[in-house]
Amino acid sequence: METKKKKPRYDFILILILAVAGLGILAFAFLTGGGGASVEVSVDGRIIAVYPLSDNREEVINTPEGKNRLEIKDGRVRVTDADCPDKLCVNQGWISMKGQSVICLPHKLTVKITGEEAPESKGADIVVK
Amino acid sequence: MKTKAIITCLVTAAAIILCSCSSGKAEEKKISSEIFAMDTVMTLTAFGDRAEEAVKAAEDEIYRLEHMFSAEDKSSDIFRLNQKKSIKLNEDTGYLMDKAVKIYKDTGGAYDMTVYPLMKLWGWGTDDHRVPSSDEIKKTLEYVGSDKLTLDSDIIKEEKNQGIDLGGIAKGYTGDRIMNIFREYGITSAIISLGGNVHCLGNKTDGSPWNCGITDPDQPDGEKLLGTVRVTDKAVITSGGYERFFRDEKTGKVYHHIMDPKTGYPAESGLISVTIISRDGTLADGLSTACYVMGKDASVSYWKKHKNEFDMILVSSDKSIYVTPEIEKYWEKT
Repeated sequence: METKKKKPRYDFILILILAVAGLGILAFAFLTGGGGASVEVSVDGRIIAVYPLSDNREEVINTPEGKNRLEIKDGRVRVTDADCPDKLCVNQGWISMKGQSVICLPHKLTVKITGEEAPESKGADIVVK
Repeated sequence: MKTKAIITCLVTAAAIILCSCSSGKAEEKKISSEIFAMDTVMTLTAFGDRAEEAVKAAEDEIYRLEHMFSAEDKSSDIFRLNQKKSIKLNEDTGYLMDKAVKIYKDTGGAYDMTVYPLMKLWGWGTDDHRVPSSDEIKKTLEYVGSDKLTLDSDIIKEEKNQGIDLGGIAKGYTGDRIMNIFREYGITSAIISLGGNVHCLGNKTDGSPWNCGITDPDQPDGEKLLGTVRVTDKAVITSGGYERFFRDEKTGKVYHHIMDPKTGYPAESGLISVTIISRDGTLADGLSTACYVMGKDASVSYWKKHKNEFDMILVSSDKSIYVTPEIEKYWEKT
């Protein structure tokens, strides 16, 4: 038979397991949901690119219907140029809040700001327009 | 003994981890999809084991109905009817037109699906908007009026030049169809936006009502909402002049797309935004247009006669907000 004095070590093991598991859960939550906001670009419902909102850059998005030029600057994003007929996407200007989006209907393009509170739009679950 | 103790530790740890995971995250499967149809962008989100199948079936239904209701699609019922004097109606178009005629009659013609020739005259649906002359409008108004239609299994127009535009209710009906499809798949929580027309199924997965933000007509793309309304199993549909408009380059005057079927000009009723909340999305869609045309007083007296069918949020041009008493406790102004 084993002696009694080794028993406290099992408590130690339990605490260790819990601590490691806890850290694991935190890391998982941070990697999947946390961090800064992103710019999600979709064409016809499919996500084709995701950029951090904090990275200043310019990108040209090629869609089957035409091109849109995208600018991310100082935590905001806009469509600067497009060869679509109505240019509504260009006229919309900058967006900066999670849940906001710029849409180019003729090109089936959406540029959406997402993040940990992505499903929330201006503090609501959805926006009626 | 040693092994037993270790196993006990592991099982306890595993149990704690599992509990913390399941209480922190929604257990139900979430499926979201974004599609382009009916000249707008639509988002569908459903929760549940069969959410994936349900969303796929909903997408198929949207494409089927789009094909049927479009005034531009050459093989649609509506396109054919706009070329001919009469056609045989299929089930969906028949239902929708019956409903359109009912709303037309109930609202004294404030909603009218026969505004199509007027919409064309003003250039809506094209990139070429213009302000027609009063003579052109007078002439076109002769073809407007759902009382000039005969509807049973066929639809017969009195005048060949009459035309139908279901744009005012087709999306509302599509939303109703999707909610039914979701129910057939056992979905109990879902939310969809058909170009800004919102339909909610049940509650959120945490059991609380859906929180729907209403666009501020003064800053539709801005960061602030007009307010939010909490709903369960409802369609929430807004009509506003801010949605589509053009500026006449000669006069600088702005013209919006909600036509008054009586005057032939964009409605000027003193309202700048109308939100209808109802279980019946088709009704909500039609009434949002009708109330926008009727104005506040007529809308309120209409509501008094139809209290159990819908609720509404009206915004006047002086920025005052009217909310029907039944939803006041669910409404929160920003």
